[in-house]
Amino acid sequence: MSLILKNVSVTTEKDGVILDDISFEFKPGRIYILIGRTTSGKTSLMRAIAGLLPIDSGQITMNGEDFEDKPIWERDVAVVYQQFINYPNKSVLQNVEFPLLRKGLKKSEAREVALASINKVGLGDYLDRKPAQLSGGQQQRVALARSLSRQSHIMLLDEPLMNLDYKLREQLRVEFKELFNSQKDAVTIYATTEPPEALILGAEILVMHEGRIIQYGSPTEVYEQPQSTTVARVISDPPMSILPVSLSAGEIRFGDGYSQPIPAKMKNFKEGHYQVGIRANDIVSAKSGGEKGTISLVEVSGSETLVYVDTPAGEVVLQMEGIHDVKVGESISIELPGNRLFLFETNGALCVSPDSAGE
Amino acid sequence: MKKGYPRFFLLPGLLLLIAIIIFPLLFTIRVTFSSWNVSQSGLNFIGGENWGEMVRDTRYWSSLLRLFYLSFLTVAIQYVLGFAIALFAWKGIAARRFYRVLWLIPMMTTPSLMAIIWRSIFTEDIGALNGLLTRVGLDPVNWLTESGPANVAITIAEVWQWTPFMFLILLAGLLSLPKEPFMAAAIDGASAWKTFARVTFPMMAPISIGAIMIRLIDASKIFDSVFTLTRGGPGNATETPAAYIFQRSLQDFQIAYGSTLALMYLILAILTLTIIGKVFARLSKPRGI
Amino acid sequence: MYKVLKATFITIWSLFVLFPIMWAITTSFKPESAVVNGATFIPFLEYQPSLIGWKAILPGPDSLTNLLTPTLNSFIVTAGATAVSLIFGSLAAYGLSRFTYGWKNYSNADIIFFFVSQRIMPPVVLAIPFFLLLKELKLLDTHLGLILVLTSGLMPIVVWLMVDFFNALPREIDEMAMLEGCNPIQAFFRTILPLSKPGLTVAGMFCVIFGWNDIFFALTLTATKVLTLPVAVIALNGTVTPYWILAASTVFSIIPLVGLAFVIERFLSRGNLGGAVR
Repeated sequence: MSLILKNVSVTTEKDGVILDDISFEFKPGRIYILIGRTTSGKTSLMRAIAGLLPIDSGQITMNGEDFEDKPIWERDVAVVYQQFINYPNKSVLQNVEFPLLRKGLKKSEAREVALASINKVGLGDYLDRKPAQLSGGQQQRVALARSLSRQSHIMLLDEPLMNLDYKLREQLRVEFKELFNSQKDAVTIYATTEPPEALILGAEILVMHEGRIIQYGSPTEVYEQPQSTTVARVISDPPMSILPVSLSAGEIRFGDGYSQPIPAKMKNFKEGHYQVGIRANDIVSAKSGGEKGTISLVEVSGSETLVYVDTPAGEVVLQMEGIHDVKVGESISIELPGNRLFLFETNGALCVSPDSAGE
Repeated sequence: MKKGYPRFFLLPGLLLLIAIIIFPLLFTIRVTFSSWNVSQSGLNFIGGENWGEMVRDTRYWSSLLRLFYLSFLTVAIQYVLGFAIALFAWKGIAARRFYRVLWLIPMMTTPSLMAIIWRSIFTEDIGALNGLLTRVGLDPVNWLTESGPANVAITIAEVWQWTPFMFLILLAGLLSLPKEPFMAAAIDGASAWKTFARVTFPMMAPISIGAIMIRLIDASKIFDSVFTLTRGGPGNATETPAAYIFQRSLQDFQIAYGSTLALMYLILAILTLTIIGKVFARLSKPRGI
Repeated sequence: MYKVLKATFITIWSLFVLFPIMWAITTSFKPESAVVNGATFIPFLEYQPSLIGWKAILPGPDSLTNLLTPTLNSFIVTAGATAVSLIFGSLAAYGLSRFTYGWKNYSNADIIFFFVSQRIMPPVVLAIPFFLLLKELKLLDTHLGLILVLTSGLMPIVVWLMVDFFNALPREIDEMAMLEGCNPIQAFFRTILPLSKPGLTVAGMFCVIFGWNDIFFALTLTATKVLTLPVAVIALNGTVTPYWILAASTVFSIIPLVGLAFVIERFLSRGNLGGAVR
């Protein structure tokens, strides 16, 4: 009883390969997070499941039933788009009732379910408003209420918080978790580009890249054991700094000759060229020694300062707690703690990850 | 998606149109190879005689040339005036709702009947215009029997009738423009003229092209004003192909020859308008708005 | 300076727009003598107003013609052709906006051009074959015959306007409707059509204007039973042009459509036309 994709591929003339041999089993009652860059194929995968994007080869089945011959309107898939899509000429209540009536519910039943669902998203006072008379966040709640009330077996959310402001996002993220928990029989798939969103919703994570699923696992697994530099970049926010290095004579040697002792976990690897990765919050600015670089960009956000540093070894991003008065063009020394380093092959595959975060 | 649904939408309209148009079109093509006229009706076959005669028919070709400049001239005037009054009715004048209604009215009137009114205005002995001219001490003009003034008379009637069409399309376009570019221009301190040249006009390009194309299509059929005002005269000085074909087919009843002229006219009209459409499409692209 | 120029331009243009209409109205109240002996302008001073023109076209003892039946005919034919064109034209436009049709090398753009190109056909080209066709179908001098013929000229306008209109409506709305259990036909009728009122209104108004004002087909394809208003007016023309009667009937026949100018203006002011021409 689940949604199964077998070798699903889609190629278009305009964009080339957009889904590349995807096989996966989505089980009911769970939330799956699709995370990846903007063109990684998240939306295409959802559109293929919904039937909006015809697949070239492969098979999609739901509860053993082949989707191939099922047109969109018989698949019973609920979708929440990144843009707030509602029927502009219908009121909030009519919007939510519409799919229920299409499903064959009686007028009175439909109203009851719709009202319950609208109350759940906190729009009980706006029943007769038209979508255009609501704020963006409220419009997205209407869209959400419409999709939730249907009790579909498949629920797809395509970056639903993308176009909302920061505060609203935080708030809805928390609400989502509760709302989805009520959908016990449904496969819920949630696409996002934002690692925090993926981690907060605490679901199974599928990392997508260039039309493929490149890693699948729990949030901690994916976060702590990214199987490649690509996954590491996608799942880290701010992105992980990745630098070319070589291992020799018990030292990690960076591009410009700066070196530090090899950490214990990497001792067994034979000498040669590798890449190391390090998260921004693990980099420390050093009083003296360490690697020297020039600050190329400073971003202050809330309670943190992000500093982009050009070093001879490559660009490095470090995150400092609090607001710091650092200026572009200044030179800075940084330290890359050996016990926080990920080691990757030159082709990007993970060799070894540091011990779990915080130790 | 199954093919049935897309077909459901397109086919009824397409087939209805084809059903209405296919017979007249095929008939017109076939009849050009016959000698159907007032004394010989029916579809015999005489080969390309009509086509040969058409090539030598200088009256036909000069009517086409006349149509060419008449339609471009009238549409150009309509566009410039229509844009001007659309700008005025857009914002910045008092009682603009009143002017909008007033300036739309000519489009609502029946061209063939207004042509009669225009005739009563331009007619030389008892017309309004010569009446006014003599009253202010000027010489009357031979509006309908002298080649120059006759063309002016037709142009005036066409501009009066169809400028409101341009006005309507362009005003609706202006009203739908986003406000942000104008605010940006105002913040930059751009003059009214600069705002028009850099913001308004480029943003109106797609709508302008659509309106001009549809007007050119309709202007290529100029008939009512010519026929009622001058019957193509004096001589053939104002004759358009539509008027000439009307005379040959429906008055002289030379159906085969008239159809030959008509078919050639159709081919040329489609060719010309396609080329113009392509040129416009290329012109409007690099601006990117 | 600019203000003076603007005011002058607006005044001149308004006078130009009004002049033929005022002339038609005044002429319709002139006696024959005030027309045939030279132009007259000022009532009571230059001529005594008379109802002779209007009496000729309205029912009564002096009536020369009956314009009521032709008016009714014009209504039926215009409404019929507008309805047929709107229904078939907007369905086709929706299809062309949402689906990709392919037949050999022809694409959607070519199909749209085919529709629009029907408007290039000059009526003179079509008059004779249409006459023969309708005669064969026993549709000569019938409402249906004229409606079908007019449709060939009006549907292109509907397709031209509505393809753009539908293109401006977000596709996600139809997709949403399909995801929520509507097949494309239900999606169109339940969600898109209710959103299309502004577009349909504009397209419908163009159809009414062009349909009501057609003379060529009405002249060649109808005789007595389906005489339309413009044809009936033209038929009043005699050896001496009775401008006073023609002016009265012209004024009479344009009144119904002048009302449309007010409708269009209201739509413009509410901002409903904007999306229809984009």
